[in-house]
Amino acid sequence: MKALLLSPELFLHEGGIARIMRLYLKALCEIAGPGGRVDSVVLNDNPGTDPRATRYSTARLGEQAGCQRRRLRFIRETIRLGRRADILVCGHLHQLAVAWLARLCNPRLRYYLVAHGIEVWRPFTFLERRALLGAHRILCISEYTRRQMLRFFPGLPAERLVVVPNTLDPYFAPDLNDQLSTAPFATPRILTVARLTGTDTYKGVDTLIEAMPLVRRDFPLARLRIVGQGDDLPRLQALVQRRGVGFAVDFTGPLSDEALRAEYAACDLFALPSRKEGFGLVFLEAMTYGKACLGARAGGTPEVITAETGQLVEYGNIPELAAAVADLVRYPRDSEVVRRHADSFAFPAFTRRLAAALA
Amino acid sequence: MITPKRDPATREAAVNRMVQRQQHRGPDDRGVHSDGPATLGMCRLAIIDPANGHQPMISPDGRFTLVFNGAIYNHRALRTELALGGWNFRTNCDTEVLLAAYALHGAACLQRLRGMFAFAIWDAREQTLFAARDPLGIKPLYYARLPDSGVVLASELNALLASGVVPREIDPTSAGEYLAWFTVPAPRTIYRGIANLPPGHSLTVDAAGRLKTGAWWQLPAPAQSAPVAGNYHDFVSGLRYQLEDSIRAHRVADVPVGAFLSGGMDSTAVVGLMVRGGAAKLKTFSLTFGEAGYSEQASARLAAATFGTEHHEELITGARVAADLPHLLASFDQPTGDGINTYYASQTARRGGVTVALSGLGGDELFGGYPSFRDLPRLQRLLPLWRRLPAGLRRTVVAHLSGRPGARARKLADFLAHARDLHELASLQRRVLPETVRLALLAPEARAQAERLGPNHPMLEDFAFELIGADPFQVISAWELRTYMADVLLRDSDVFSMAHSLELRVPFVDRQLLEWLWPQHDYFKYDPRRIKRALADATADIVPEPIRNRRKQGFTLPFARWMLGELRPFLDETFSRASLDACPWLQAAEVQQLWTDYKARNDTRAWSRVWTVAVLIAFANRRPAA
Repeated sequence: MKALLLSPELFLHEGGIARIMRLYLKALCEIAGPGGRVDSVVLNDNPGTDPRATRYSTARLGEQAGCQRRRLRFIRETIRLGRRADILVCGHLHQLAVAWLARLCNPRLRYYLVAHGIEVWRPFTFLERRALLGAHRILCISEYTRRQMLRFFPGLPAERLVVVPNTLDPYFAPDLNDQLSTAPFATPRILTVARLTGTDTYKGVDTLIEAMPLVRRDFPLARLRIVGQGDDLPRLQALVQRRGVGFAVDFTGPLSDEALRAEYAACDLFALPSRKEGFGLVFLEAMTYGKACLGARAGGTPEVITAETGQLVEYGNIPELAAAVADLVRYPRDSEVVRRHADSFAFPAFTRRLAAALA
Repeated sequence: MITPKRDPATREAAVNRMVQRQQHRGPDDRGVHSDGPATLGMCRLAIIDPANGHQPMISPDGRFTLVFNGAIYNHRALRTELALGGWNFRTNCDTEVLLAAYALHGAACLQRLRGMFAFAIWDAREQTLFAARDPLGIKPLYYARLPDSGVVLASELNALLASGVVPREIDPTSAGEYLAWFTVPAPRTIYRGIANLPPGHSLTVDAAGRLKTGAWWQLPAPAQSAPVAGNYHDFVSGLRYQLEDSIRAHRVADVPVGAFLSGGMDSTAVVGLMVRGGAAKLKTFSLTFGEAGYSEQASARLAAATFGTEHHEELITGARVAADLPHLLASFDQPTGDGINTYYASQTARRGGVTVALSGLGGDELFGGYPSFRDLPRLQRLLPLWRRLPAGLRRTVVAHLSGRPGARARKLADFLAHARDLHELASLQRRVLPETVRLALLAPEARAQAERLGPNHPMLEDFAFELIGADPFQVISAWELRTYMADVLLRDSDVFSMAHSLELRVPFVDRQLLEWLWPQHDYFKYDPRRIKRALADATADIVPEPIRNRRKQGFTLPFARWMLGELRPFLDETFSRASLDACPWLQAAEVQQLWTDYKARNDTRAWSRVWTVAVLIAFANRRPAA
């Protein structure tokens, strides 16, 4: 199989889409088989091979075209590499029209879209609809995303939308050498990881802060650790002061993988009561550490968090959120069951699902 | 009530209080029974086999105990089938049919039931509870988890509160939702910690105390192949057959059956079909008003004369409503901006000597009687053009419309600011208060929560996913069925008819009729030039022509006038500072301004918004019933 992967980013930043598309690269290399080849065209990345690429590929990895945000170059490279590919996997809806263009130049090319979440939960433009209709399959990361796409584009043949849930990065698995968190003692220690930007307020970090006074009524030593950065930070810090929980909330800023692992290992539960999570990869990361998860009954989250691995609450319902924290502390979930649940989303299973979807 | 941590005597005392609190729902019989951790109680309005059918009803082997609210219209057909399956019937009551159906088929029995129901059944062997509600939400079912992992369920919120184990705490989020929708949409209720089991859902509590809910019925999927009429003549013939069949089913009773007759097309069709089906000496009931322009007296009289019914009219005045308000408010179990007409029509019917009455409720939802069926598809076509405009220009237009005094402009602003597809248009069109007004009325905490949840209906995604692939008529019809009809009309109808111990039946809200009608071509069902033409044509030989050709009036009350007259003292007191102290989730000054503006401007179109808020405040000031 000769494959071409399009993505907005792979290695330039540590965004959610970049992380999952690296795993697509790795999986495609494994699926390609003997004689196969996987090229990539990445809009934002720099030209050349990133040192981490070896982790996320095999000998099947072919040409890697980093376009340094130059759109014309992105289009040109896609058409050039698309001429010798059998399949094209497009990592973002915004790039699907380019995939469609590549198919015009190579009629035997089949192209696929990875539909992540919020970027496809909306009405589509004419060009997007045209490109979507040309896609051989659309790989939705959750059933929720699949239904949203059908809702906003009822003309899309439903059988072309298949669910391929996200997977965990095998290199993020717990390690014997994981550091211990240096955070102050707390019980329970609640961890959340999110982008803290003004456009991501739906993540529900503010609701966690709002719930802290109620949580501390039951658990005076409770502590909330917020990992992430962004322009919404001043608003959240002000909220912490208004709620009088400054001594119980830590903003860690962005963390290295090692430090983030230490946070996962040290927390008692992971919470991200987000309204619009397409899947919620961070839940899986927490689950690999056996940590129970708390999410909102919204988006793709209910497809990841089960009654055995955590609890779901209504988005924005502060008392319910505080009660769920209390419930998860008083009735802890079996960490082995939680880990096993995370295993069902492990990379080998993802590769099998992807291979079946591309067949 | 299921709770292993309370002794039977304590549970029975609580359940007795609950039964007593909803005695009006069933004054003919009552019973309470305990088994293991479960205590079930029931007060019965005896309709079918009145001499038998005591509840809770226990299966002969003692395994199942059932409490059941509603009516199973196909109980005779099911009885024959279940008897062949080996059940030895002891009564002629539909309750025993339900008990046998569950004992023999388990939860799958739901698919065989034609009727309105909410029931709970305790399985002593498996130590599990199963409860379910009818497909479209005619009969209510509320439940709450107890701190000891127990569960308590009831047909009315007032009964749950009377148990003494559920706190009476108004949920500020629900108050915010109420201001948007005129009701609190399921699964939320006005009280924190109490849930409303949505229509077509069932609930199980297993032996470990785990509670699960799930949908057992959904609107037919477009992909399901169903026979559809090939031409309009076949469609109308088929519809007529289905209507007659539904009326026949809904007349099943061993007590007197009457009908509401407003004079509109829906109720006239129901009465006409009842008479055509053989209902002799039928009693019909309608309300009249002294104020010109509100009564449909002439149409109702014409229909009654045409069908030869024994027609009863009841004059409703503002003074009477003002005098009855304490009882009306005590009848509510959640605030509602509607339903007073049903209260009086039910009172009139019960006093007129019937125990069961049929109503034309649901006709507008099935046959496109609302303006939404005409307006929303037009707006939907404009949305893509609107979204192509520069974002700055769109923001300016929305801000301009939001700042205008009229509610219509602000509603349009809501559409333009928040709607992206037909579902969101359908969701927003039933709002009472425009978003900017609603947010201004809420205190900071409730407002923050309302902002987080956004202006759309809380069930938007669930309904939109259920309707993937549906045509525009189906989408709008489903939204009307799932929101306004289920959360307002049916809920109010149940509460206010039961307040007078009257069983209200709604033959248009019939699963069999709906499942036949749903896949039919939309151009047969709806013609924007002739509203409800399908119903009119299917009953053309029954419904008098003047009624078929009348413009829709609805079953409305002259509230706008009464609020400035007889109801004014009540409203002045309701909007007083002392009264608003019971509503910490409202912004008192803004709320008072709403009433002041209404009095000053005399804008009769604004009455429903002011009344909706007034009912919420009055509800919060209710004293707990003994």
